[in-house]
Amino acid sequence: MGELVNIFIKSAFIENLALSYFLGMCSYLAVSKTVKTAVGLGLAVIFVLAITMPINWVINVWLLGENGIFQTDLTFLRFILFIAVIASMVQLVEMVVEKYSPSLYNSLGIFLPLITVNCAILGGSLFMVSKEYNFSESVAFGIGGGFGWFLAIVAIAAIREKIKYSAVPPALRGLGMAFLLTGLMGMAFMGLMGIDPAAF
Amino acid sequence: MADTAVVEKKQGLTFGKKERKLLTDPLSENNPITVQVLGICSALAVTTGMKNALVMAIAVVFVCIFANVITSSIRKMIPKSVRMIVQLIIIATLVTVVELVLKAYAFESYKQLSVFIGLIITNCIVMGRLEAFAMANRPYESALDGLGNGIGYGIILLIVAFVREFFGKGEIFGAKILGATPDYWLNTSESSIMGWYQPNNLMVLFPSAMFVIAVIIWAHRAWKPQLVDVS
Amino acid sequence: MHNTSQTLRFVLIMTSIVAMLLALLQNGLKSKHDYNEALYSKKATLAAVANQLDIDFSSISSEQVTEIFEKQIKQSVINDEGVVIPKEDLEKDGVKNGKAENLDLVKQDKEPIDERLLPVYEFTKSDGNKYYIVYTRGKGLWDAIWGNIALESDLNTIAGVSFDHKAETPGLGAEIKDNKAWVKQFIGKKLYEPNGEFVGLEVRKGGAKDPMHDVDAISGATITGDGVEEMINTDIVAYDAYFDKLRK
Repeated sequence: MGELVNIFIKSAFIENLALSYFLGMCSYLAVSKTVKTAVGLGLAVIFVLAITMPINWVINVWLLGENGIFQTDLTFLRFILFIAVIASMVQLVEMVVEKYSPSLYNSLGIFLPLITVNCAILGGSLFMVSKEYNFSESVAFGIGGGFGWFLAIVAIAAIREKIKYSAVPPALRGLGMAFLLTGLMGMAFMGLMGIDPAAF
Repeated sequence: MADTAVVEKKQGLTFGKKERKLLTDPLSENNPITVQVLGICSALAVTTGMKNALVMAIAVVFVCIFANVITSSIRKMIPKSVRMIVQLIIIATLVTVVELVLKAYAFESYKQLSVFIGLIITNCIVMGRLEAFAMANRPYESALDGLGNGIGYGIILLIVAFVREFFGKGEIFGAKILGATPDYWLNTSESSIMGWYQPNNLMVLFPSAMFVIAVIIWAHRAWKPQLVDVS
Repeated sequence: MHNTSQTLRFVLIMTSIVAMLLALLQNGLKSKHDYNEALYSKKATLAAVANQLDIDFSSISSEQVTEIFEKQIKQSVINDEGVVIPKEDLEKDGVKNGKAENLDLVKQDKEPIDERLLPVYEFTKSDGNKYYIVYTRGKGLWDAIWGNIALESDLNTIAGVSFDHKAETPGLGAEIKDNKAWVKQFIGKKLYEPNGEFVGLEVRKGGAKDPMHDVDAISGATITGDGVEEMINTDIVAYDAYFDKLRK
């Protein structure tokens, strides 16, 4: 259990998908204009990461691995299967949410299709493979990674809401400023590098 | 993304004004990175050196062109309900091809790019062009559009990589240019006239890519004020 | 326009075409992949003795790497008691051709130290001097780091090292591989005191103090540096028994 908490803390803060690896930047920059939408997208990312990570783990180990059911190395199909799982999961989640919770759908719904092409989701799955996590670790990594991404997008949205009232040079307004801020936040997060999560 | 949808005509493969616009528009006016803000992730991770950036740019141009052409030629057969997944499978296949080929013929680059080759799949440029352009246009125009966008992306990648590699390591394409020892072309040790420069390690770190892109955007928008967003 | 069965047929046909295409490509390029993979680790091994080669290492070709490996290097696999494992036993364990270069080093690193198989490369320079290249593996800040350490024939002085890593930060931890000046510091350092006692190396913050055993740390990469130090000091001990036999 302690090991899983470690992985959660590590993936949420120390190896933050958005601010240490800069993954999922397209939607991060596009949807961070207000805190409200940022919270919606962030929640959707946590949700999808937590679902797709274990499924992709099962596919990677049982279907594609040398000790899987086909007994051959099929890793060259990894990209296709991973992205197919992500795309179909997103669609499935969208359908389920629409049917059973229209209010949640109204707040999350428009973001769900965006998530398929969010590199943080596919990147998370690929990192899981390269870090050789086991099943429960990959669940913890999925939730932690999603939470870290959520934190990052909400933080930048809050800053962008405030910075609207500052005298920024016109050409730097909006996008340029968002890049600068993310860079600064990334530097701040580098300060967390090397912290031993076991010390928490 | 305001696209001038090219009307489908039964004419030959001409290269006129419209086609030229398809090719040059993404280079500046509608640049995928600085204007459309797509495909940022890989722009950050692979730009520590120009060599990696070049390999990445070539890979993206390849995937862009072929994904556009393939999608465009089967666009009338793709069932609407599974459109996204079909597009993603096409892209994922092309990316796997890129990975297998790099592993066979450019192993060092393959090692250094590692997971970021896979992340071309979610490079929104490719997906965005398929959805916005290839689904509605002929293969020929789609190929030009893919080429234009791929190159527009590649140029920014190379500029960022140039700044980061030159000021961060004092090298260009791995060749030593600026540094504090005699084996550099511009020796900046105290005894020489260029003695003031110390390689800036910050440039090699991830956040610096953000700063470099921000400055590029700043310059680009100062030059073309119509791109400034009002919000 | 499209009904479900048509959709399904489309997806099925498309996926089978795609899978077939990729399988063909994968099969066609497999041998090249394996060759590259092997060459990459051979080159990393040779990088430890880069200064002792007759040719410039930075422009070495793949044929030259293979040639040097065949002509100038004698490879063997030992256990922690210093016994050289015969080729037949290794082949039985699934090591291809019973060669050290085909040993699965990641798997071996997970074994307890007294069951571990260790690769040793004996490099003979063109002037007849012998160098021993040993392998070490440890943990950096993010993930695994590993290195090849070349020792001179006194089995004490370091003749060269080459490090690699899985996921260290570019510009900080990744400097252990990229920063040639840092790697050069290791040359000439000693592992043992003159009386034969093992002291190992120290990657010291704030500059090296002991000229025999210290190297400067990389600023901003304390943990990776400590990882290098720990990796060398613990893994080389496993070779002790073998070195003792060689000394006799």
